[in-house]
Amino acid sequence: MNNRRHYSLTLRLALIFALLAFALLATLGVALYRELERELIKRDDGALIYRADQLRNLLNDSNTLELIKTKPELFQNMLGNSESVLSIAAPGQKPLLLVNPGNIEIPNVTPVPKDHALGFSDVHHLPGVNGVPFATVAASIDSGDLGSLQVTTGRLMTERTAMLASYRLSVFVLACIASIILALVGYLLVHRGLLPLRRLAKHAQGIGIANLAERLGSHGTPKELLPMIDSFNTMLERLAKGFVQLGQVSTDMAHELRTPINNLLGETQVALQQNRSIENYQQLLASNVEELERLARMLDNMLFLARTDPASALRQRQELSAADEVERMADYFEGLANDVDISILAQGEGVIWAEPMLLRRALANLCANAIKYGAPSSELLIKATPDAEGISLSVSNRGETIPAEHLPRLFERFYRVDESRERSSQSNGLGLSIVATIMQLHGGRYSVTSEAGVTCFELFFPRREA
Amino acid sequence: MNILVVEDEPKAGNYLLNGLQELGYSVSLARDGVDGLHQALETPFDVIVLDVMMPKMDGWEVLRRLRKEADTPVLFLTARDDIADRIKGLELGADDYLIKPFSFAELVARLRTLTRRGSSREEEQLHIADLQIDVLKRRVTRAGTRITLTNKEFALLHLFATHQDQVLSRSMIASRVWDMNFDSDTNVVDVAVRRLRLKIDDPFQLKLIHSVRGIGYRFDTLP
Repeated sequence: MNNRRHYSLTLRLALIFALLAFALLATLGVALYRELERELIKRDDGALIYRADQLRNLLNDSNTLELIKTKPELFQNMLGNSESVLSIAAPGQKPLLLVNPGNIEIPNVTPVPKDHALGFSDVHHLPGVNGVPFATVAASIDSGDLGSLQVTTGRLMTERTAMLASYRLSVFVLACIASIILALVGYLLVHRGLLPLRRLAKHAQGIGIANLAERLGSHGTPKELLPMIDSFNTMLERLAKGFVQLGQVSTDMAHELRTPINNLLGETQVALQQNRSIENYQQLLASNVEELERLARMLDNMLFLARTDPASALRQRQELSAADEVERMADYFEGLANDVDISILAQGEGVIWAEPMLLRRALANLCANAIKYGAPSSELLIKATPDAEGISLSVSNRGETIPAEHLPRLFERFYRVDESRERSSQSNGLGLSIVATIMQLHGGRYSVTSEAGVTCFELFFPRREA
Repeated sequence: MNILVVEDEPKAGNYLLNGLQELGYSVSLARDGVDGLHQALETPFDVIVLDVMMPKMDGWEVLRRLRKEADTPVLFLTARDDIADRIKGLELGADDYLIKPFSFAELVARLRTLTRRGSSREEEQLHIADLQIDVLKRRVTRAGTRITLTNKEFALLHLFATHQDQVLSRSMIASRVWDMNFDSDTNVVDVAVRRLRLKIDDPFQLKLIHSVRGIGYRFDTLP
């Protein structure tokens, strides 16, 4: 048995749902974030360029320059917030105007020449302060009397960074929430989906010896479970059949035991009714021994049939000469056959791969039957025919044809073609079922045909595997 | 022959004791394993009949302890028709076994074989009354008349002649003559014996083959 821990399908599926949902939403979030970031940068850069352009226009007017000198706060207000930086200076001189409420270090950027229109590519992005990006644009301006001036305007993107950070957080939180919800929904759905399985398990648990005839219902179960239900029901079918057979065998055996026990009990009780001669007692005891031997034989056969350990039986398999074995049978039964004027003809060749005692037992059972039911002055044929796959042994005799309806059941325990005639001490109805068991142990086949007065039993032993 | 029977079942113990004593053996009976082991170690026996299923100390344990001290031949009796069980017994040092139910004649035959072991030499010439058997030439004569036997008839006669005064059960005969080691439902043995009688006994006054009702056959010169 493997002792690995069993995993829960429901839990596993719920986790997979959650992971998938998270991955999907996170990817989507990241893509949107990138797009948004690009748009924001474009917007901010546009604003910077616009401002620089405005200043270019304004500063062409000498009045404006005057205005800068007299009322610099006007420009400070124009920028509107503390993140912006503006410096207007002649090259290499102290700035005419410096608006820098955040005291940001103004980087040295090459200005765009006067006759060149400002574009997005002129905006410089710098790491800035504490990881907050800083964008700046510088331009040269022709201001008439003051000559060439340089305008540098920039902006620290604190607001944008904060906005993007909050956006990132929202995406993450949303993805988490969605995956938790999907996990829960998935768990519930799968749990609900497996409901038929639990119902089946409960039903199966209720099936026992008392109601082996019951079958698992497929009503309302999903299509995927149908093959399982079908095979489970077929298994129940087989079990029920086997159980009935087993019960039948026990009943039959009990009935078989009745006859010898009844004889023993009756004869002994009658004998004890009055004093008898020694001869009478001896006769009684001998009769008892006969009955007891019959019981012992039956017991032996029953135990043989109940033994289901093929490994130990087959360990002693040998390659036996078919000619020797059929000859041995002919030898053994010669006298018995002669008594009823049956002649035995044994022929064949090849090798039988079998356990010798089991093989002889099977053949002996067939031969004994053949002599018992053989017509007088007829022939009993024991034949061995080898082929590529193994060897088949047949025992055939002339006699009454066995009606076809009995043939398939001949190998069942205690089965008799004619109930009244054959209940003799010579037969206990187990002979052929022993043959069947022996053949099953050897992985072979057995069959019987009965046509036009010839009954033929055939045993097939597979050859030794290389 | 000195036999120790270790058997806890009262009826079985009694019939074994009586049966073996009637055959002229000296028999001791132990009713449990502890007593059995004690007796087996105290007195030298020729052979021990040991039941396996016993209270206090089972047959296996008795056998195990006995084998440390002595190698008296042991035949064990078991009710379990289990190959593993039989192999266990033989591995522990038992010499033979019988599965219950067994025929009494079979037990006696096995006990004789066990005690004769080693000293058994195949005799070339057998003489029983006026019957002569030449084993090597497979020639049989009675009162000077040559008798022709088939192979199996000869094998049967030879078995009888080498087991004089013993009752041979049908299954033992089937196993020794035809190598059929199972109880068959047929009366093959009876038929074979009848045919042998036809040649060996019927023409003569003194009968050698005797039927023992309910058990089998006995071969001797007693009437």
